[in-house]
Amino acid sequence: MDTLNILLMGFISIVLINNLVFTKFLGICPYLGVSGRIDMAFGMGMAVTFVVTLSGTLTWLIDHLILMGTPLEVTRYVCFILVIAGAVQLVEMYVRKFFPSLYESFGIFLPLITTNCAILGLCLFINLWEIDNLLEAVVLSFGAGIGFTMAICIMAGIRENLNLADVPECLKGAPITLITAGLLTLAFMGFAGMIR
Amino acid sequence: MSKIKHFLEQSWLLIISAFCFGLLIAVTNAAWSPRIQQNEKGKLNNLMTGLITEAKNFQITIEDVEVLGKKGKITKTDIYQALDDSGSSAGFAFVATGAGFADKIKLVIAVDAKCEKFLGFKVLSSNETPGFGDRIKEDYFGDQFKKAPAGELQLVKTGNPETIDSEIVAISGATVSSEAVVKIFNTYIDKVKEQLQAKELKTNGQ
Amino acid sequence: MANKTSSAPLLGETFIVGLWRENPVFRLLLGMCPTLAVTAAVKPAFTMGLCVIFVLLCSNIIVSLMRNLLKPHLRILMFTLTISTFVTIADLFLRAFQPTMSEVLGPYVPLIIVNCIIICRAEACASKNRLFVSIIDALGMGAGFTVTLCVLAAVREILSTGAIWEIRILPAGFVPWAAMRMPVGAFITLGLLLGLVNVATKRNA
Repeated sequence: MDTLNILLMGFISIVLINNLVFTKFLGICPYLGVSGRIDMAFGMGMAVTFVVTLSGTLTWLIDHLILMGTPLEVTRYVCFILVIAGAVQLVEMYVRKFFPSLYESFGIFLPLITTNCAILGLCLFINLWEIDNLLEAVVLSFGAGIGFTMAICIMAGIRENLNLADVPECLKGAPITLITAGLLTLAFMGFAGMIR
Repeated sequence: MSKIKHFLEQSWLLIISAFCFGLLIAVTNAAWSPRIQQNEKGKLNNLMTGLITEAKNFQITIEDVEVLGKKGKITKTDIYQALDDSGSSAGFAFVATGAGFADKIKLVIAVDAKCEKFLGFKVLSSNETPGFGDRIKEDYFGDQFKKAPAGELQLVKTGNPETIDSEIVAISGATVSSEAVVKIFNTYIDKVKEQLQAKELKTNGQ
Repeated sequence: MANKTSSAPLLGETFIVGLWRENPVFRLLLGMCPTLAVTAAVKPAFTMGLCVIFVLLCSNIIVSLMRNLLKPHLRILMFTLTISTFVTIADLFLRAFQPTMSEVLGPYVPLIIVNCIIICRAEACASKNRLFVSIIDALGMGAGFTVTLCVLAAVREILSTGAIWEIRILPAGFVPWAAMRMPVGAFITLGLLLGLVNVATKRNA
């Protein structure tokens, strides 16, 4: 029961309180690029969740089973990025072959995701926070993906309405999106201190 | 055979460059890693020297002290003994961790040689709200811990921060962060005292 | 000799292009993640800029030297391998010689690996041009990125602490805007700066 409690708290914390986009500045590039429409945003979010859960788990396993404590530890970054790139490649091939309908909805984003800071960033944060059991790593990775999806869908909803609003010419596009993101960050700060 | 040949033909550059890059990283790491380790050690030493000013060097006296935190989570810390010029004990210091408002707070806490008074604390790492929780790093808060009795501390909202006793006045607007620091002190001091007394008893008994 | 003089203005132009017209952050909107994360103060921003210049330079050099040997479907892998090696070296350097900066920058140094700027330049420029052009392009883009980071950091640092590079500038009576140190300040400042740049380019166009 206690483990479940810790996992639940960890999940909530990474979705709301330590949200990757709003507090750790990860995943901004696709965030700005893809949040134009809600359906595209949701597709991107799902793709990111899928990949990040897989990568988070794999990199944790590799880190703990092979790298830690050995002289190979210095090649950590190289290993992480290669594992992520490989995982994305495999996932794309697999999804394209066996779930063509799923591929239609989010497959196009998959190659873009490899250079998404969120994936490598999450793997590095899991390493930084010294998470020492596998289940917690899986839950945190999944939560990070869900947090990203939530952030991007909120932004897409707001942007769809912003298209109809009277935005000054020089602020159209990226600037107003960033300012909106800033206000969203401020709103999410209210969640801090929710868990003790 | 031709498959292997085809594979090699396509990826010889990859294999060779992977090897070269690996070598490059290994060489750089070997060259700089003693410096890196020295930096990591030096950081803790610098903070501890800031707290116990007479100390010339530190050594670990008791390793892996287990402290029971909230929710039954056990954290381990080492107790460092500060030695001054003449080699006698100038105090003890240890790293203490606990949950803060936003994230974990890591402190370096120092006690005097007889483990009767706190000598103060320094923040190793924290992620508190800038302008509010961040103010636990300021002297207004930190000075209240210097010479405070090494025992259970209590957080109060109003009071005189100048009087040194076991009451700590919270930072207005940062009650949770202040409370977190006091809680960290309280969680660790009992165990540390117990361990130090056990060790002292041992050496006295000899 | 004639070749060199005719290509010299082209090289200078390549540098300036990286600095302003195709400034990676303001115009191409690349490399956003570190831009927002490390610009709380000018010192970390400058350090990050220097790291990016180092990695960009080394990776462009290596990719340019290898450009004729690359197999098309393995090239992204090669780029990634090269970049991650140099980022590891940069990170080790920071941890050895600038431990305070290494701590402030934290996980954002290895995130240079996925910084779109570096892979984009390797793909778009270094794999197609000779060594010298690649070097100048790397320096130009890197300089543009560093300048951008420093400008953003200067705004945020002045408003949040009244100092730049820890040298006090504003009078002591100034009440610092704590919001500038938090993610809110980062997003809003970058948005407003981008808006300003849009205004500036529109006037010139």
